Amino acid sequence: MASPVVLPRQGQSVESCIITSWNKQEGDAVQVGDVLFTYETDKATFEELAKEAGTLLKIFFEADDDVPVLTTVAVIGQPGEDVSAFTPEGAVPAAPEAPQAEEAAAAPVQAAMEPTAAPAQPAQGVSPRARATAERLGVNLAAAVPTGPNGRVIERDVFATREAQPAAQAAPAPAPVAVAEAAPVAQEYTDVKLTNVRRVIAKTMLQSLQQMAQLTHHTSFDATQLNAVRAQLKAAPETLGLPRITVNDLILFAVSRVLKNYPDVNAHFMDDHIRQFKHVNLGVAVDTPRGLLVPTVYAADTKPLATIAQEAKAVITAAQAGSINPDLLTGGTITITNLGTLGIESFTPIINPPQVSILGVGAMVERVRTVNGQLTAYPSIALSLTYDHRAVDGAPASRFLKDLVTALENLTALLTM
Amino acid sequence: MSKQLSIRPKEVRAPSKITFQDIPVNVYQKTVREEKGNYTKQEFLNIYRDMCYIREFETMLNLIKTKSEYNGVPYNHPGPAHLGIGQEAAYVGAAYLLTLDDYTFGSHRSHGEILAKGLRSIEILEADKLTAIMNDFLGGKTYGVVKDGKLSAKENGINFLLYGMMCETFARENGFNKGLGGSMHAFFTPFGIYPNNAIVGGSGSIAPGAALYKLSNKKPGVVVCNIGDGAMACGPVWEGLMMSTMDQVRTLWGEEGGGVPLIYNINDNFYGMGGQTAGETMGMGMIARIAAGVSTTQLHAERVDGYNPLAVIDAYRRKLPVAKEDGPVFLDVVTYRISGHSPSDSSSYRTKEEIDEWQEADSILSFGQQMIEAKVATQKELDGIWDKVRADMTRNLKLAIDDSISPHIPLMSGDPNYIGNLMFSNGHVRSFDETRKPDVLLPYEECPRIQQIAKKERFGFDASGKPVPKNRVYQLRDGIAEPIINKFYEDPTLISFGEDVRDWGGAFAVYRGMTEAIPYHRLFNTPISEAGIVGAAVGYAMCGGRAVAELMYMDFLGRSGDEVFNQLSKWQAMSAGMLKMPVVLRMSVGSKYGAQHSQDWSALAAHIPGLKIVFPATPYDAKGLMQSALNGTDPVLFLESQRIYDVAEQFHQGGVPQEEYEITIGEPDVKIVGSDVTILSIGATLYRVLPAVTELKEKYGLSAEVIDARSIVPFDYTKVIESVRKTGRIVITGDACERNSVMRQMASVITELAFDYLDAPPVVVGAKNWITPAHEMETMFFPQPAWILDAINERILPLKGHQSTANFTQVEQLRENKLGV
Repeated sequence: MASPVVLPRQGQSVESCIITSWNKQEGDAVQVGDVLFTYETDKATFEELAKEAGTLLKIFFEADDDVPVLTTVAVIGQPGEDVSAFTPEGAVPAAPEAPQAEEAAAAPVQAAMEPTAAPAQPAQGVSPRARATAERLGVNLAAAVPTGPNGRVIERDVFATREAQPAAQAAPAPAPVAVAEAAPVAQEYTDVKLTNVRRVIAKTMLQSLQQMAQLTHHTSFDATQLNAVRAQLKAAPETLGLPRITVNDLILFAVSRVLKNYPDVNAHFMDDHIRQFKHVNLGVAVDTPRGLLVPTVYAADTKPLATIAQEAKAVITAAQAGSINPDLLTGGTITITNLGTLGIESFTPIINPPQVSILGVGAMVERVRTVNGQLTAYPSIALSLTYDHRAVDGAPASRFLKDLVTALENLTALLTM
Repeated sequence: MSKQLSIRPKEVRAPSKITFQDIPVNVYQKTVREEKGNYTKQEFLNIYRDMCYIREFETMLNLIKTKSEYNGVPYNHPGPAHLGIGQEAAYVGAAYLLTLDDYTFGSHRSHGEILAKGLRSIEILEADKLTAIMNDFLGGKTYGVVKDGKLSAKENGINFLLYGMMCETFARENGFNKGLGGSMHAFFTPFGIYPNNAIVGGSGSIAPGAALYKLSNKKPGVVVCNIGDGAMACGPVWEGLMMSTMDQVRTLWGEEGGGVPLIYNINDNFYGMGGQTAGETMGMGMIARIAAGVSTTQLHAERVDGYNPLAVIDAYRRKLPVAKEDGPVFLDVVTYRISGHSPSDSSSYRTKEEIDEWQEADSILSFGQQMIEAKVATQKELDGIWDKVRADMTRNLKLAIDDSISPHIPLMSGDPNYIGNLMFSNGHVRSFDETRKPDVLLPYEECPRIQQIAKKERFGFDASGKPVPKNRVYQLRDGIAEPIINKFYEDPTLISFGEDVRDWGGAFAVYRGMTEAIPYHRLFNTPISEAGIVGAAVGYAMCGGRAVAELMYMDFLGRSGDEVFNQLSKWQAMSAGMLKMPVVLRMSVGSKYGAQHSQDWSALAAHIPGLKIVFPATPYDAKGLMQSALNGTDPVLFLESQRIYDVAEQFHQGGVPQEEYEITIGEPDVKIVGSDVTILSIGATLYRVLPAVTELKEKYGLSAEVIDARSIVPFDYTKVIESVRKTGRIVITGDACERNSVMRQMASVITELAFDYLDAPPVVVGAKNWITPAHEMETMFFPQPAWILDAINERILPLKGHQSTANFTQVEQLRENKLGV
């Protein structure tokens, strides 16, 4: 009865061996203990000894074949016996295994992790990288929705915030991006050509900041009397023919009266000299569709309130309409810029050169002070005077501002002068 | 194992008995009078003089330590001074017949051995050779201080020896090791004086390596291992005994073998610090008894009277030829330390009477009396010797403590990196003996392993991208073997040893197919003596050879703790760069075999200054790093993971080159370029990072950059920091237990170097701080691909919809640390 010669398994990790040589050939007689063939693993060489006597009937693999262990490699029996039943499946080398296929334990032991979806928790921190990226991209970190571990703002949150910013008002809590971007996503934008006005503004403003020694003093005045005067004027009989007087008109009026006492401030700085003006030409900053324009009310110090109001209204309307005579955009000796109507409480205006000062007017707000030990509310308007220290020192600028406050708080008296 | 030697049941089961030969004790009892015909007067006087120099040197140190003054010279020495007052005859007797070819190794109490061997060397050296040695040393700086044109070369030599030794003791740059060794580590190889060792028994495992160097490289001379009786209880000393008594040098090494030319010279002063070795702390009675048990030769052991210099000389006269022919030899030299263990020793463990008796028997005193009685010398002559010795001592002391003549190394005066620059020699030496052809058994082309490698595909994938079968591909183990074989054929001094490295081919078949080509005396199996293995490599390298030693598992590093941590790592710097340590210490990092066979202990080794450590994960890197290690001059711990001995090269395009190339030790390698997260992998963990990279890409659209550390010490962070600047995120992973691991070290350094670029702190994914469980449960212990994703999700970048399998929450981190697990 024929018996198979099986390639032994030499060690747990051995999956196949290379048959290095056959010491017996098909048809050779073999005795028990004869070396049939030698084979090797990647670690060692072995000899396979015959365990049966007989004739080597069939060899299924050649020397140098890589044979899976426990495969029948040959048959020993008596001549004439059928060996086909022993033919191993595919006398070809087994498919190699990928190196070290180590299985990972797969059973999930924890609930699925979801990135923090809503900014319910306050940010626990900002990663150094996110902070640096925000600074580089000009992204406001306060608006970032943290999606990092423990509510940490991480870099992808900065990218997400930048993405969301154009539509921020509509969608205050943008969903965090699912994965970190490999590279910044292309941004949508439109290139807008600079208008002439924008060009001039850009140049003038930059020049102003680069070339002047400007600084700003802040103060505020009690607007009780201003409100009373305005109410009175509003209630004045139509027969008097008074134009509509705005808060801004009253401030223009006060400036025109106080500034003329401060020739240092009512001036242009001409590099090698200072040009002091006899009259006060009020530049009025106007927000127009084309950009900022500053038309002028000339010699305001010589004009009554009603005239100032009328002229101001006229130049403002013309500026907004785009029909302003360009000549009216020059010659101001100070500019008054009022962002109070937009709710701005205080700001630092930039001087319109060669003027040496600009007065910013803030919104009217309720403030509180102590009167006879009682907290009393009163209306207040902030004034911010930016001036060019090259031309004006701090004390005269402050004195001008102080006088202006006094004038505005005693508007009735001023109107009688 | 060896096929040449068979273990036959008939023989080993047969009844018989073990017999011992008598071990002679103090057989020699002669005096000067009886030896008058065998020594000249000058020889007797020199013996006396050398003992006086040693006594006075130790007395000087004792006074400096206890009174801050010697002979009117004030000095404060805060360092150690382990004195051998009383042991002079043993020192001088042992050194008397040694030549410059004979190497002595010593202990913490070896000033006397150094002086005795130094004085003998000066005595036997021809004047021009002696002068050349002194002129060569430190460019003649040390000699320049004491050189006196009116004195003979020998007299100059004595001053050079005293001054060099004092400078070394007092940490002066003119010292024999620039003051970096100090009192307990001093040596001077030009006189055949090899390192002394502050670790008790330290030389016990090192000296056998030096003797193997002499045997394997056919060098003349013997090695003398000076240790004390206390050291005989130290494990590494026993391991050294086992290493030096291997039968194979006689049974298997053929003409290249024979005796191991080594003399164990036990300065048996009866005390290990205060512990009385005979009668209290040990049980062998006389130390010489040990020799009978460790070898059939009984190591030709004798106990000799070390209070009589002539007895010790007699023993050496008889034993030196024996050591060369049939070593080792074991001498139990009876002596007594009159001085304390150190100056702080109040001798509370012994009686005054005992000390008095030994002082009465004082070797110098009695030898002097014998000379007078034998009419060899007069009292006046002896007094004259003493006067000269004291004058020499005083003069050289003044020079040695003068800061302007003998400054310290400029560590504190302009060169703060002085010691840092000595930690590694960073040399490049292709062969340590270019005059010799390496001994091999077959031509290179016929080396079976080389033939086998030649048949292999050198890249892991064939032209169609299909993986090449394991048995046909160049594996990581081939990458380790190839450069070693090449070096065997290039550097005749290269030897390699460890457990089962020869016929077995190493436990993991790295050395397979080398046995046939490399003779026994260059590639041999050792006893299971890890301390002995590493100690021998250290001693071998100290003598000027290159060794590749193997610890089968890194888990056995503890067994060779002192040899790796205090010897292998420190001798280059402690010798001020005078010694090189070209040793590659291979050790495998296991898995599957449980708690004591699966540990990556790289952190233990990385903590020790002076060791280079590499851990390649691919065949290309293994070959390049091994080549660098083998061309270098520094000790390199070569970590090999058993998980990946059979991996093929799959990163380096074109596969592993056949020609030689080096990979700079310390240079990590970017294996996969990515942009979103960096994964820094140490060792075999690389192959578990790869599935994680795929999953990050496919499931979460994240592109991971994979950096393979390749080296642990040194480590150039440049590429890692560059990567972190790009990705802002990093996971560091490896198979070591996480706590205090190299990964933690890397995380800390990266945090400091790249803080502003980090989007999250570096996260470590290491093994649990547990014992390693059985293979079936290892996925709960070693880092898995999923753990890397879990860690990223939990600590770096939440991954939408990710399901964690491992717990990387901060709560868990706190809990584990609180519990210490």
